[in-house]
Amino acid sequence: MNPLSRQEPYVIQREVKPLDFLAAGETASDFKETLKSLGIPPEICRKASIVTYEAEMNAVIHGGGGVIALELAGDRITIVASDEGPGIENVSLAMQEGYTTAPDSIRELGFGAGMGLPNIKKYSDELEIETELGKGTTLRAVILLGPSGEEVSDLCRTA
Amino acid sequence: MPHGIKISGESCRGCVNCIKACPTEAMRVIHGQLHIIDERCIACGECLRICRHRAISLEESEWNSIAADNRSMPLVTDPALCTQFSWPPDPGILKDILMAVGFEPIFEDTALAFDLAAMAQARILDEHDSRELPMISTYCPSVVRLIQIRFPELIHNLSPAETPLETSVDLWRTRHNRYDIPSTLVAPCPARITMAIRPVGRETSSIDNVVSTARVAKEILSKDCSPSRESTIPGRDSRWVHWSVSGGEAGHIRMFEKRPLKTLAVSGLRNVVGILQEIELRRLKGVDFIEARMCDMGCIGGIANAESPFLSRLKVEDYPFAREIDKEEMAILEDLYQAGVWKLQQEILPIEQIPLGKDMAKAMEKLSELQSVYAELPHLDCGTCGRPTCRVMAEDIVRGEASLDDCIFRLRKRMGDLSQELNELSKRFVHTMTPEGKE
Repeated sequence: MNPLSRQEPYVIQREVKPLDFLAAGETASDFKETLKSLGIPPEICRKASIVTYEAEMNAVIHGGGGVIALELAGDRITIVASDEGPGIENVSLAMQEGYTTAPDSIRELGFGAGMGLPNIKKYSDELEIETELGKGTTLRAVILLGPSGEEVSDLCRTA
Repeated sequence: MPHGIKISGESCRGCVNCIKACPTEAMRVIHGQLHIIDERCIACGECLRICRHRAISLEESEWNSIAADNRSMPLVTDPALCTQFSWPPDPGILKDILMAVGFEPIFEDTALAFDLAAMAQARILDEHDSRELPMISTYCPSVVRLIQIRFPELIHNLSPAETPLETSVDLWRTRHNRYDIPSTLVAPCPARITMAIRPVGRETSSIDNVVSTARVAKEILSKDCSPSRESTIPGRDSRWVHWSVSGGEAGHIRMFEKRPLKTLAVSGLRNVVGILQEIELRRLKGVDFIEARMCDMGCIGGIANAESPFLSRLKVEDYPFAREIDKEEMAILEDLYQAGVWKLQQEILPIEQIPLGKDMAKAMEKLSELQSVYAELPHLDCGTCGRPTCRVMAEDIVRGEASLDDCIFRLRKRMGDLSQELNELSKRFVHTMTPEGKE
């Protein structure tokens, strides 16, 4: 059977509240369980889980909360995170490991280490960021279901 | 059975306390009978803790038949047994007592096997590429099963070391060339019992009979056995006792470290799930080794113990043991290390969960169906349908294992609708009657 046969995407949405560190990670594990129930391989579930978690944390820390959606269609999982936060001033800077604009109060909690976007990029196959200062940010990260390139084999590195 | 417990159909009242306590949603009550879904159960023993009707018990071997055997049978014990008595947790004292009861405690081999497991794991950590760390201990069979079921992506993080309890029987059998006589294990929890019935990482267990810590403690106490010697000098023969308390294995491993190892000891169900999630999200950097135990405080917190875990911990903490490993010991360990007797014989594989559909497209259809079924349910998670939550109920309905009418609220609503319809039907006039009701 061809997994691409389904046309309209299947979507689940979760709301993320601002500065709710306690609930952080819930969306990630929820999405992971959903993907697992579909029989998707563990390495791909893990990638989706990491991407969701980092997107969730970005919304918690910077975005003033937001909405995270899991879209399933065709050969791909798409994680869409949108917020109405301040926007990202310099996207290419934000993509650098260790670059952070998180305030000290958040870094003291052990978050905001500047690894969010770099990790999302690392664990997704395609990444698209739309941002406008003062309006908000929408991030679309795609993880391919098929036996895609090196990233997947990198995850199953014991093989 | 993979769970080390048995259900007594007569005692089960069909209350749903256990299914709600189950962390992996592995239990159902159907037609008044409790069922366990094997591929989801992790043998943690939470259901045993909560059942007030004594409908769930440990699947231990028949004590009387073991006691009736006149041969002096090799006995290996989980270190938790040493902590069950009023005297110090000295294996030497316990050994004398167990011999008086008619066993042959193989504690020299046990001590050696635990030293070996600690040393081998320290070696692996010293040589390991830090990208593949942290390594997760395989000592707690329940944690291993949780990883196989819920965190299959962490299977590669599991330590390749065999549980030293199995190794100690292997060592004893090889040293004495005795393969003919059954061995007995004293276990503090259903997961340890499961280890002997259906081992993970080896074809067959070296253990033949399993009895609970509480059963053996009761036997010892009823025979009025008391320690024959005040306290032996704590030495290498007692390092393994510390594995019964959270942090014991990690501490033992650090005794053999060549570079400073960062270890983390985690105990209790929630904490274990929490730490595994952190590892899964790759948020745990710089940690070499995770010692995870399903029971609070470690194996002394197992459901099959007799003593309070707090008192057990006090006894272990107050009991000194030799930290230094001398040259002679090291030479023996080195030989055994090279021989590879500490290694798991088989690869640990994930336990496949049955997806919603046989292919992705089908599974996605089922998932949409699941969401609409879930929306119909009351979201009270009352358990009256025999499922732990409305979510699980929706899944069972979609899989064809339950009907919407099994939900008491849905049933009530349907009855209400039906009776309303009946009422309306009863008011419909007959054609031979005029609307005014005159004949």
